[in-house]
Amino acid sequence: MRLNQKTKHKIVDGLLICMMILPLAAAIVIKVLTQPYSEGMNITGALIFLEIPMPFQPLLITEAQINSWLVMISITGLCLFLTHGIKAVPDSKRQHIAEMIVEKVDSMVRENMGEMFMGFSPFVAAIMALSAFSSLLTLIGVFPPTSDLNIIAGWAILVFILITYYKLKGGLWNYIKGFGDPIFVMAPMNVISEIATPLSMTFRHFGNVISGVVISALLGSALSGITAKLPGLLGQIPFLKIGIPAVLSLYFDIFSGCMQAFIFASLTMIYISTGFPGEAYEKRMKRKIERAKKKEEAKRLAELEK
Amino acid sequence: MQTLDIISINIWNILISLVNLLIIFLILKKLLFKPVKKVLDQRQGQVGKLYDDAKTAKELAEKEKEQYDEKLAMAHDEAVEIVSAAKERAERMGDEIVDEANRKATGMIKRADEEIAQQRKKAMNEIKEDISNISVDIAEKVIEREIDERDHKELIDKFINEIGEDDE
Repeated sequence: MRLNQKTKHKIVDGLLICMMILPLAAAIVIKVLTQPYSEGMNITGALIFLEIPMPFQPLLITEAQINSWLVMISITGLCLFLTHGIKAVPDSKRQHIAEMIVEKVDSMVRENMGEMFMGFSPFVAAIMALSAFSSLLTLIGVFPPTSDLNIIAGWAILVFILITYYKLKGGLWNYIKGFGDPIFVMAPMNVISEIATPLSMTFRHFGNVISGVVISALLGSALSGITAKLPGLLGQIPFLKIGIPAVLSLYFDIFSGCMQAFIFASLTMIYISTGFPGEAYEKRMKRKIERAKKKEEAKRLAELEK
Repeated sequence: MQTLDIISINIWNILISLVNLLIIFLILKKLLFKPVKKVLDQRQGQVGKLYDDAKTAKELAEKEKEQYDEKLAMAHDEAVEIVSAAKERAERMGDEIVDEANRKATGMIKRADEEIAQQRKKAMNEIKEDISNISVDIAEKVIEREIDERDHKELIDKFINEIGEDDE
C-alpha cells in the first residue's frame, strides 16, 4: 500500500514535469513548423495564426498569444510540482524552494508596500513569473511574448487600473483634488503624468526586450555577412555564429529579461503603495464608522419610541 | 503567413494579456501561496505546540520535584518522631521494669524478714519451754521435794518471760 502510494506520487510528479516541459516543446515545434525560411535580417512582430472578426478590431491569435498561454501552462505545472506532497515538516528540496519563493516575495511586498498590501504578493509574483518566463523563452529560440507591445500594455493597464482603484479609496473628491496639486494650473501636467505611468511601464519593458531581439538579429546577420566575405571553404560555414551571440544572449535574454521582470514588479508595488492616500483613507473610514454608528443609534431610538 | 508590425496595437490582444495576468495571479494564489502559507502556518502551530508542551512538562516536573522535596522533608520529620517515640517508650518500659524489680525485691525482703521473725519467735518459744522444763527439773532435784508442779511452772514461766522481755 505504501509502495503503491509512493509510485503514485512519482507518477503524478512525472505528469507535472511533463506539464512544465511539454508546452515549451510545443512552442519550439510550432516555431519550427511555421517559421518562414528567410535569408538575412528580418525583424518583425509576431506571426498571425488566426484572425477572428470582432468589433473595432479583429481578434488576432498570434505567436505571442500562443506562447504566453504555453508559458502560463508551464508556470501552473511548476506551481503544482513545487507544492506537490507539501508537508508541515519539509522533506523535499522543492518544498524549500516553494517556501523560499513565497517568503522572498512576501518580504519584498512587506518592505515596499507595507503590511496592508500583503494580498498583493501573489500578484507581484505573477508579474515576475510571467514576465521573466516570457522573456526567457528566447533561450529556446521561441518568440518571446514580452516583445509584443500588446502583452505588456495589457499588464501595464491592469496595474494602472489597480493604481487608480487604490487612489480612489481616499474618496473621489480627494482623487480629483490630487490633480490640482500643488496649484490648479498644474492639472494638465498631472493628467499627463498619470497617463504616462502605464505608457512608460509598457515601453520600458517592451523596449528592453525588443532591443535585445534587434541587436541579436543585427549581430547574427553581421556575423554571417562577415563569414560570407571570407575566402574558400571558410565562407561556406558560418562558424562565427558559434559562441559570440551566446555572450549577448547572456545579457539580453537572461540578465535583461529577469531584470525587467523585477523592475516591472517593483514599479507596480511602488506606484500602488505611493499612490494610495493613507491618511485620506483613514479619515474616510472613520467617517464611515461614525456614520454607521449614528445610523444604528437612530434606529435604536426609533425602536425605543415604538 | 502574415506577421504583425513590430509596434502594433490591438485592443483584444491587450485585453487577453490583461486577463492572462489575472489568471496567473489566481493560479499562483491558489496553487502556490495558499498551500505554502497553510503549511507554514501548520508548522508554526506545531512549533508553538511543542514549545507549550515543553513548558507544561517543565512546570509539571518542577511541581513534582517540589512535592517530592516536601515529602522527603516530611519523611525525615516522621523518622525523627518515630525514633524519639521509640526511645521514650523504651525508657518508660525500662523504668517500669526496674520499678517492678524493686518492688518485687522489697516484697521478698519483707517476706524473708517476717519469716525470720516468725522462726525466731518459734525458736524463742521452744527455748522458753525447754528452759522452763529444765528449770523445773533442776528445782526438783535441788529441793528434792515435790512441789506443786503446776504452781511452780507458772512461777518459772513468769520469770522467764520477764527475762525474755528484758532480752528483747
